[in-house]
Amino acid sequence: MERSFKEEVEQLRLGEGAIFRGEGILAVTKALLQSGVSYVGGYQGAPVSHLMDVLSDARDILDELGIHVETNASEAGAAAMLGASINYPVRGAVTFKSTVGTNVASDALSNLASAGVKGGALIVLGEDYGEGASIIQERSHAFAMKSQLWLLDPRPNLAKIVEMVEQGFELSEASNTPVMLELRIRACHVQGTFATRKNRAARYSKRAFLERPDFDFARISLPPATYAQEKHKIEVRWPAAVRFVRERHLNEVFAGKRSDVGIVCQGGLYNATIRALQQLGLADAFGATQVPIYCLNVTYPLVPEEIVAFCGGKRAVLIVEEGQPAYIEDAVLATLRRHAIEAVKVHGKDVLPMAGEYTGEAVVGGIARFLDCLQALQSITQPRNKARELLGAGLPARPPGFCTGCPERPVFAAMKLVEKDLGKYHVSADIGCHTFATLPPFEIGHTVLGYGLGLASNSAVHAMFGKRTVTIMGDGGFWHNGLTSGVANAVFNKGDGILLIMKNGYSAATGAQELPSSAQHSEHKAADMSIERALGGLGVKWMRTVHSYHVGEMRQTLKKAMTTPEAGLKVIIADGECQLERQRRLRPQVAAAIAQGRREVRVKYGVDEDTCTGDHSCIRLSGCPTLTVKDNPDPLRSDPVATVIEGCVGCGLCGENADAAVLCPSFYRAEIVQNPNAWDRFLARLRGLMHGTPVH
Amino acid sequence: MTVPPRSLTILIAALGGEGGGVLADWLMSAAHACDFPAQATSIPGVAQRTGATTYYLEIFPAARAALGGREPVMALTPSPGNVDVMVASELIEAARAMQGGFVSPERTTLVASTHRIYATAEKMQMGDGRFDSGRVLDAARVLARKAVLFDMRQCAQDAGTVINAVLFGAMAGSGALPLPREACEAAVRERGKGTEASLKGFTAGFELARASAPPEPAAAGVPHGAQAYIDLGVARLRDYQGNAYAELYLQRLKALHADPQLLAEVARHLAVWMSYEDIIRVADLKTRASRFQRVRREVGARAGEPVIVIDYLKPGIEELASLLPPALGRRLIGWAAKRGKLDAYNVGLHVRTSGVLGFLLVRGLAWLKPWRPYSHRYHEEQRRIERWLAAIREATPRSTALAIEIAACARLVKGYGETHRRGLASFAAIFDALVDHPPVADAAAQAAAIRRARDAALADPEGKSLSQDLGKPVVWLSKAP
Repeated sequence: MERSFKEEVEQLRLGEGAIFRGEGILAVTKALLQSGVSYVGGYQGAPVSHLMDVLSDARDILDELGIHVETNASEAGAAAMLGASINYPVRGAVTFKSTVGTNVASDALSNLASAGVKGGALIVLGEDYGEGASIIQERSHAFAMKSQLWLLDPRPNLAKIVEMVEQGFELSEASNTPVMLELRIRACHVQGTFATRKNRAARYSKRAFLERPDFDFARISLPPATYAQEKHKIEVRWPAAVRFVRERHLNEVFAGKRSDVGIVCQGGLYNATIRALQQLGLADAFGATQVPIYCLNVTYPLVPEEIVAFCGGKRAVLIVEEGQPAYIEDAVLATLRRHAIEAVKVHGKDVLPMAGEYTGEAVVGGIARFLDCLQALQSITQPRNKARELLGAGLPARPPGFCTGCPERPVFAAMKLVEKDLGKYHVSADIGCHTFATLPPFEIGHTVLGYGLGLASNSAVHAMFGKRTVTIMGDGGFWHNGLTSGVANAVFNKGDGILLIMKNGYSAATGAQELPSSAQHSEHKAADMSIERALGGLGVKWMRTVHSYHVGEMRQTLKKAMTTPEAGLKVIIADGECQLERQRRLRPQVAAAIAQGRREVRVKYGVDEDTCTGDHSCIRLSGCPTLTVKDNPDPLRSDPVATVIEGCVGCGLCGENADAAVLCPSFYRAEIVQNPNAWDRFLARLRGLMHGTPVH
Repeated sequence: MTVPPRSLTILIAALGGEGGGVLADWLMSAAHACDFPAQATSIPGVAQRTGATTYYLEIFPAARAALGGREPVMALTPSPGNVDVMVASELIEAARAMQGGFVSPERTTLVASTHRIYATAEKMQMGDGRFDSGRVLDAARVLARKAVLFDMRQCAQDAGTVINAVLFGAMAGSGALPLPREACEAAVRERGKGTEASLKGFTAGFELARASAPPEPAAAGVPHGAQAYIDLGVARLRDYQGNAYAELYLQRLKALHADPQLLAEVARHLAVWMSYEDIIRVADLKTRASRFQRVRREVGARAGEPVIVIDYLKPGIEELASLLPPALGRRLIGWAAKRGKLDAYNVGLHVRTSGVLGFLLVRGLAWLKPWRPYSHRYHEEQRRIERWLAAIREATPRSTALAIEIAACARLVKGYGETHRRGLASFAAIFDALVDHPPVADAAAQAAAIRRARDAALADPEGKSLSQDLGKPVVWLSKAP
């Protein structure tokens, strides 16, 4: 795992009234323990990867409380696990990223929402929206509306988040409905404090078993029960939820002296709203505001009575609601109309951006427009305009890319070379680190359709080309969805394409969590689940495993797969461990070996600056962060030369590329012998004598 | 004690692996030790994979005890015009912050390292795609209330630590933090990992930031001007092929009667072209004692640690032909080019140049130097050089600017194998279309067209831009079967 929380998880043991200091995600975990959950699970993905990592590192503490922990194989698996709360009074929570995770989970979520729950069921959604997001931009709100799941969006400070987790379970039980709690990226990672309560062991758990199975046809998703369930949602659960939200005052009103106007905001945007008012001189550092605010810590269901009470008598209100469509704005408009309150002008997306993250700047701009004080924004626009004028155009972007020594980079170098040999070919990309290949310098991959769906997304494309096409899939995607939706589907339909599986051994993009086929397994996971055997079992006949770094061999294998007369799915497994994880494992071992005086050979690559002519073909075929350029030391030349900087892990790609692509003779591999033995020293002396030979 | 009106805001722009998260933790601990309310957020996501990312902190500079139970409301995103301390671990990230409006003359102390880590878009260009650092430094001095700019990566390397420690020191030294130095150092100690090196880096950053004028990055002492280039050229060619060859260089330049700028441009390119990188040259450069010393330095080998050097050579038909007598070489190349076999018979050699046998093999190639003037490649290169010089001589009376543009086309011919063929093809295409048969009579227009075509030739390795610019395809690739 990329990040260890071994030290931080000790805070999960804090008792009554202690002060917790740490990250949002860890605070949520503590809140789950304070709520007496019986089981937890989820699927990794930013920004809630750390929640899964925390759960893994906190196994001892969870075991003490009898909590069942599961690293689910997908979000669908996680959501389905909440089925335990349908029949039994056990609280459970799962987490995944949204909206992609919610998409995958939605089959189970619909069934869960229809059946209803007895024990509190909470879904912690990592809202991957805006700056730093890695997925398509949509709202989780729609899921809440379509399935009638309640959606919490707490003010982003730890005390409020923790309180809403606890209230969420109660709301879930009071209304027999699963509850979603959305946390934006920055809220997941926010560092702060809150006063803890002591952990509660659940009535039923791994340590205190249920007595007997409980059968109730009314909870089965089969007609006629489903008709009754839909009615029950509307007639019983919804009113119960609205009542609970009102009675517990989950939404908050912050009074202000400007009674003619008001702001309705999502809880998660409260801090941004206050900061904007502060910048406009309408609030102080502690949140005392002149403009009244109605803060929705519960964004679904809305409470009509509260909306009417807040908006009634005002000239205008502003809805600060991130993302689109503007569900809340539309609902407020409808509510006011329904209650015949016509005098209030409702603003929202007319003054705020329709799409995109509500950053501080977006919110202050919207509020300034709403309150007609645009001149206050000059301090924002002036420095920026000046900067643009001084810097000019062409500031280079710096998107994320493959790490130094990444085993996936050589595979794409090989694919580039095959392009040169056989012409361009269609490539269906997938989700994972390998999606970075769509960026320069590789620009490989024509479509991305979802996690593990690369091969399935290729099936019609493939049929439209006279030659074979390629699909890229990671081992994470393979186990998530690719095995069934991709491979089984292709074999079943007699697909003739090529599937390239990046087997790096981890769910690398999300922080190197373990996968079924990971080589090293913690004691909680089954060992030895192999991709190769799974493929064989599905009837894949043409299968080759190639070491990721062997560019030449990979190029030949791909060409063979492209040209072989053999029909059927052809699978190439690019086998190379995630270099980040490899280095994390090796570094301490090597350091220890050197400290003990053992002979260790360190490998680093380099470029001879006097033979490099500064064309940078090597960089266009690699993109490695440590292969870069520097000023040409030759005063007669102007173009910068290639150079390998500190951080090179000696993966060998430079040499492989130089060889496979016939690049140039400038690359060298240096093997530095640390703690040399007598023989090493003798050879070095002998060679040293020779290297002094004169040129002529 | 009066309560301050607002939180102090800190935005940190960093790249993955630079310890930005740890820096945020240090700041949080120091603020906590002072009993100041504080909050930190970040957007790690996939940005940690070598991309640019930011950390945002707010510190309310008053002890909690003095606040009477009130909690400051802190923002999770930075607002333009509302940042007190802008920190950038790399120069372009500082520029990005300025472009985003996060550096304002009223409020912002900008603490930024002046070193560059080139983005893929900059380093993958065929020529020089690097963004001008000077523009960033100038903008920083204009836009920031106070700018603390120096090479913090160098400081970190000197202290044997990561750049985050130097950044932390520079922040504290800039006077913009409400946190005393002791609290900052205590925070570093509290974390307990590599403490000594971190504190050393912190101190270095602190002292440099406190100095009224941090040292300006030294301008590189690059010689320029015609005479400097001619001297360098003579020395290089003497080393390359002896005195007579150096004399030929001088003869060629003499025939120019040029103005100093043109002479400088030709002197520079001619020296490089005449010392073209054939197999003999490469073998020579790879087996010099100075090269082995440079490798040791570059890979950071310590005294007493043997270094084994392995070179990746892959000679093929072109390399063989280049060594043959002209008539034979020409026929071999002609045969291979017709059949698309120029790259078909390359032999991949991983030569241990530092070993006895490998050294003798490569050194042996270098010893072919006396044969060079009788080789096919030599004849080819001299012919091309003469054609190029003739064009320059012809253009000079019409317009010096035009002659300079023609001279600069030599920059296109570089590299090995396919890269070299591509360069030659671009060069030939430009010569054919714009030098030998110019579509316009006006010298200034012709010069501009040549410059444009040269930029197009360096825009993409497939020759798409150049083909578009010239209106006809530039072909050098063997077609895919």
